[in-house]
Amino acid sequence: MLETRHRPFSLGRIVSLTANTFTELIRLKIFYFLLIFALLLIGSAVFMARFSFQEEFQVLKDVSLGAMSIFTSLLAIVATAQLLPRDLEERTIYTILAKPVPRYEYLIGKLAGVLLLLALSILAMSALFFAVLFIRQQMLISETLRATADLPSEQVQATLHRLQAAAFNANLAPGIVVIYCKAALLAALTLFVSTFSSSNIFTVVVMVFVYFIGHLQATARLYWLQDHAADWLSKGCFALVALVFPDLQHFNLIDDVVAGTAIPLGLFAQTAMLGWVYVSIYLFFAWVAFHGREL
Amino acid sequence: MTEPAVAVHSLTKVFPIPFRRKKLVAVRDLNLEIAPGQVYGLLGPNGSGKSTTLKIILGLVAPTAGRTQIFGRDSREVASREAVGFLPENPYFYKYLSAEETLRFYGKLCGLRGRGLQARINQLLELVGLQEARDRRLGGYSKGMLQRIGLAQALIQEPRLLVLDEPTAGVDPAGSRDIQDLILELKRQGITVLLSSHLLSQVQEICDRVGILAQGALVREGRVDDLLAIEDQTELILENATPELLAQISALLDRSPARLIQQRRPQTTLEGLFLEATRSSPAG
Repeated sequence: MLETRHRPFSLGRIVSLTANTFTELIRLKIFYFLLIFALLLIGSAVFMARFSFQEEFQVLKDVSLGAMSIFTSLLAIVATAQLLPRDLEERTIYTILAKPVPRYEYLIGKLAGVLLLLALSILAMSALFFAVLFIRQQMLISETLRATADLPSEQVQATLHRLQAAAFNANLAPGIVVIYCKAALLAALTLFVSTFSSSNIFTVVVMVFVYFIGHLQATARLYWLQDHAADWLSKGCFALVALVFPDLQHFNLIDDVVAGTAIPLGLFAQTAMLGWVYVSIYLFFAWVAFHGREL
Repeated sequence: MTEPAVAVHSLTKVFPIPFRRKKLVAVRDLNLEIAPGQVYGLLGPNGSGKSTTLKIILGLVAPTAGRTQIFGRDSREVASREAVGFLPENPYFYKYLSAEETLRFYGKLCGLRGRGLQARINQLLELVGLQEARDRRLGGYSKGMLQRIGLAQALIQEPRLLVLDEPTAGVDPAGSRDIQDLILELKRQGITVLLSSHLLSQVQEICDRVGILAQGALVREGRVDDLLAIEDQTELILENATPELLAQISALLDRSPARLIQQRRPQTTLEGLFLEATRSSPAG
């Protein structure tokens, strides 16, 4: 036997599983479909608006960030939902888990592969978004310079300053990071659901429900608390609902980004942290469900 | 005393049937020991509990009662799988990987790296006869080739125990013979092999011991030769026997209390005939 000493946790094994999952996912046609769709949508935003430059940039950011959010969320759910059922159906899971690979490493590797795919997708979409934003900004600067050639330079500078501020602001990067955190959360929750689900279609359907409830539950909670006293029972119920159905409105910072409202660092850190706490909790739940699963 | 390669103690596995109050007993009170270096065949009809037993030994399924051990380590310990290679029935590997990439993936899962891993990959591809197809994606592999790459991945970390679930299912006779020869070669190298199969003639040829399962219970167990021997009969196969010699034997038989049950020309098996015909064909 080749000399290897078993370690209960091996980063090398996780990296192998991550790389393999990533390779598996980039071969999915659905991934290309979603990416192309997102790219087309972002690209088309350029031609959608012919308003004032502030309005045009707002529409561009709104459409692009919205598309990024929806497509990364969809990609997170669809890509994760089929990982476990496919391995079970094709029996590759037997060959992997019959090696000295703990089940938690298998789950971490699968999730990390999805997170890597999501990171690359969002990077590609951001790159295109920033490129479109930059090109449009340069075009508008040229147009403004031509149109204001007769005006005093202070007035021109002020117009250019307003234009630049409308295009790029410091909120864009944190806004995109928060979109990624939301997609990571959804991927971890999908992995958890797929550990006990009977098919990937079931997992996707459950996740679509979770997605909508996750977006609506904050409104429902506010509505309930307006009419009822916040006793310990309702608080407990809301906490339970918030755990099973994550409050996705927390991750909806797009409106602030589009409006150019500054996202406080504290809020950004808190939101990102919340996302990763959810990811850890769902990964733990996934391990609990998968640990004793009969294969 | 040497540690058994596989030890199964009072193993029982019950599967609850969803939405019914019934339960399915897949394995009942099974006791088994496989000595190191043996080729052991687990036989039985469909649903007799063979695959479930193998999965419990591999730690993929938890027993309801009893326990299983691999070289003295409880099967539920992940570390016990360092000594095991497993080929499931009808395996499908990741279609987008080539043979070499597949072996590298499984090798890394076993903690192998660098030159040692590369050398092992080359060695195994040669052993299973896939050097020519090493860079081809597994999506284009035939059933027999998949089975061979499956064997190679099972052997990647040089395990002391090889568990094969229906290793020749769906493979043509030539491929099946290759796998059979490979198992015998592994036995010569001292590797313990536990296999389940429906092909009884094959099991008879390569296994030292067999266990026959029926409805989850072990109904027969022992050395193949002992189990198959008919105590009160003797087989005599002669080469170049003259008619005179046969007449003398017949006369001797007439004078003795022994009874001649059958006299016939020995036949080759259909498998033997097939292999001879296909290997010596002009195209081959």
